[in-house]
Amino acid sequence: MSYTIALAGNPNCGKTTLFNELTGSRQRVGNWPGVTVDKKEGICKKDKELHITDLPGTYSLSPYSAEEIIARDYLVKEKPDAVIDIVDGTSIERNLYLTLQILETGVPTVIALNMMDEVEARGDEIKAEKLSRILDVPVVPITARSGKGIGELLAQAAETARGKKTPQKLLVFDEKLQRVIDEVEKELESSGESDSAWKAVKLLENDENIAAGISEELKNRIRKIIGKAYGSNEDPEAIIADQRYRYIAKVVKDTVKKSAAGHIETKSDKLDKILTNRILALPVFACIMYLLFACTNSENFLFLGIPSPGIWLAGLVESVWGGLTGVIEGLLGNASPWVYSLVIDGIMAGLGSILGFIPLVLVLYLLISFLEDCGYMARIAFVLDRIFRRFGLSGRSFIPLLQGFGCSVPAVMATRTLESEKDRKITAILAGFMPCGAKLPIFALFVSTLFADSNQTLVTYSVYIFSIVTAILVSLLLNKFVYKDGASNFIMELPQYRVPTLKSVFIHGWEKVKGFAVKAGTVIFVSTVLIWFLSGFNLDSFNGKNAAENEDGSIMCEMNDSFMASVGNVIAPVFKPLGFGEWRPAVGVVTGWIAKENVVVTFAQLYEEDVTEEYLEEYFSRFTSEELEELGFEGGAYDSEAAGDIYSESVLFEGGDENALPHMKDDIKTKAAAYAYMVFNLLCMPCFAAVGAMKRELKTWKETGKAVGIQMATAYAAALLVNVVGGLFL
Amino acid sequence: MADAIVILIIGVCLLGSVGYMVWNKKRGGSSCGCGCSGCGCSSSCRGKKEDG
Repeated sequence: MSYTIALAGNPNCGKTTLFNELTGSRQRVGNWPGVTVDKKEGICKKDKELHITDLPGTYSLSPYSAEEIIARDYLVKEKPDAVIDIVDGTSIERNLYLTLQILETGVPTVIALNMMDEVEARGDEIKAEKLSRILDVPVVPITARSGKGIGELLAQAAETARGKKTPQKLLVFDEKLQRVIDEVEKELESSGESDSAWKAVKLLENDENIAAGISEELKNRIRKIIGKAYGSNEDPEAIIADQRYRYIAKVVKDTVKKSAAGHIETKSDKLDKILTNRILALPVFACIMYLLFACTNSENFLFLGIPSPGIWLAGLVESVWGGLTGVIEGLLGNASPWVYSLVIDGIMAGLGSILGFIPLVLVLYLLISFLEDCGYMARIAFVLDRIFRRFGLSGRSFIPLLQGFGCSVPAVMATRTLESEKDRKITAILAGFMPCGAKLPIFALFVSTLFADSNQTLVTYSVYIFSIVTAILVSLLLNKFVYKDGASNFIMELPQYRVPTLKSVFIHGWEKVKGFAVKAGTVIFVSTVLIWFLSGFNLDSFNGKNAAENEDGSIMCEMNDSFMASVGNVIAPVFKPLGFGEWRPAVGVVTGWIAKENVVVTFAQLYEEDVTEEYLEEYFSRFTSEELEELGFEGGAYDSEAAGDIYSESVLFEGGDENALPHMKDDIKTKAAAYAYMVFNLLCMPCFAAVGAMKRELKTWKETGKAVGIQMATAYAAALLVNVVGGLFL
Repeated sequence: MADAIVILIIGVCLLGSVGYMVWNKKRGGSSCGCGCSGCGCSSSCRGKKEDG
C-alpha cells in the first residue's frame, strides 16, 4: 500500500534539498521565492511505499499567491497521509506561523527542524522534545544538506502516515476568539460543509476563496456571528494573526535558548555590506558576470594565454565528434551520394554543430547555478528592485528573468509568482528577451566566426548586457503606454550565504546534459533531417531532371535552387535593412523558432560548403605579398595548390576556433550586420515552446499575439539600430 | 542494400523521436523534449499538467 507525504515549508527552508535526499530526484535548489512553482512528486528511495510531493514554498496558507493556493489546496483537498513541515531552525519564529496553519488543517504532521548545523554554530539550542510535546507532533532535528537526521525523519513520517494521527487542537486563540470560531464551525457543519474547523478560521480571516464556495445565506449567518463578537473597528483577521504570533512567542520562549553572545554579525552580514552596498553592488555584479563569460567563452582566459574551460571542453567534444564522423564516413563507402549527404552533411554536421557549443552552455549554466545556490542571486533581485521600480517593475520580476538565462519556458511560467497581472504580462514579454541557454550557441558561433579578431568575451558579454538594457527600456515603454499601473511591493528574505555542495553542482550539470541529450535526440535531430531535405531538394529531384543533369546521377540540387532557398528568398528582403537580407540567414531565423539551437544547425548545413578554388582565389586576393608570405605562401605569391591547406591551418582557424563557418561572411558582410543578427535572434519571438508557455500564462491568444508582436517589433527595431549606428563604428 | 539499411536506421530514429515528443507532450511536458536544453527544469514543463 502506498502513502502520500507532502513537504511544506517557507521558501529557502531546505525543502527541495530534503526532497532530493528523499527521492533522489533532481530539483533546482534556489535561494529565492518562485523557484518551485508547481508541486513535484517522487518516490522515496528508502521506502518505496512513500510517495513524496514537494509543495511550493509559502509563508502562510492565505490565498494571496498562486503558491499559497497550490500548497493549501493540496493539503485540504488532496489530504495527503502526512505532511513534513520543514522549519528553518535559524528563523524558527517566522517558520512556526506556517506550522500553526498546517496543524489547523488537521493533516497528520511531522516537523523537520532543519539547518541544525547553523543553529549549533551560532551557539543556540532548540529543545525538540519539548517543542514536540507542546505542538503534539513529532519534531525531528535534521540538516538536510548533509543528510543528518533524515533516517529518523523518514521513520517518523512513515509511522505518522500509517498511523494517521491527527494533531490535537492547540489552544492558540483566546476564549472569545475560540468561541466565535466554534460557532462558525457549527454553522458550517450543520450546512454539510467539510473541513468545517479549518474553514471557520479562514472565514474569520476574510478568505475570499473559501467564502466563494459557500451559499449567500450561510455567509450572512456567519457574518452576523462575527459582527456580534467584533465591532466595525476590530479586524478578526488581524486579531487571529496577532494571537498566533503571541502563541509562537510563548512557544519559542519555552523551547529556544539563544546564545549568550547575542546577535553575532555573521559572514553573510559582512559580505552583504559590500554585495548589497548602494554604490558597490552593481559594479560588483557586472564584474562577476564578466568573469562568468570569461570562464565560458574566451580564447585567452584571464589573459593567461589558455582557452577558457568552456572553449577547452568544446574543442574536446569537437574532436570526439570529428572522429566519430570519420568512422561513419568510412562505413558509408558504398552508399549513394544522397544517403552520404543525409548522414554526413545533414545529421552529423547538424548535430555536431550544436554539440560543440554545449560545453559553453554547460559551464555558464553551472556558474549561474553556483551563484544561485550560494545565495548571491537573491541579493541581486534585492539590489535591482531599486532600479526596476523606476521602470515600473519590482525586483521580484528579476527572478523569472533570471530563469530566462536558462530557458524561456520556466521563466514565463515563473511569472505566475508575481502578484499583479500587469507585472505578469510585462515580465512574460521580457522573459523572451533573455539570452537563454539555447541562444548562447548562436552568439558563440558568430563571435568565433565574425569577431575572431575582437575580445570575444567582451562581445558575448555585451549581448547579455544588451538584453537587460532592452528589457528595462521596453518595460518603461510598456508601463507608460500599454499597461498602466504601479509596481507591486517586493518583500523577500535574504538567505544566509552558503557554499553549494559538489553534489548539487554535479546534479545541476547532469540534469543539463541529460536535458540536452533528449532535445538533441528529438527536436534537433528531426530539424536536422528536415533542414537537410529542404536545402538539398527541389521539384526536379522527383521528376528525374536533377539525376539526368548531375554527373554522379544524384537527385539532389544546388542549395541555391532548393525548396529552402525558394522560401528564404521570399522572406529575405524583410531583413535587408538589418544587414542580413540573404536567404540563408533569413531561414536561420525561422528555424530558430522551432528551437533556437536550430539557427546553428541551419548555418552548419547551409554554410558547410566546400571551400572552392574560386573562393580561395578571391579570398586571398585581398592580401599583400608580405601578408601572403606570412601566411605561408612561398615568395609571397598565391599558389592554388597550397591555398587549401594554408586556409585550413591559418585562416579558417584564426584564433584557434574550430566552430567557425567562414562562408557566413558571404552573406553577413559586416560586424554591424553580425551583431544585428545576434540582437534579432536574442530579442525576437522565442521558440514555439516558450510561446506555448506564454499562452498558458497570458490565457488568451490575443494577449499572446500582443506579446509576440511586441517582441518582434523590439527585435526588428533594435537590430535596425545596431546595423545602422553600428555600421558607423564597426 | 547499404542505402536501405541506412534509411531504415534513420527512419526508425525519426519515428522514435517524433513518438517521444508526442508522448511527452501528452503527459504535460514540453514538445521540445525534456525541458529546454538550457534549464534542466524539466519538471517545470511537466508540472503544467497540474495547473491545467
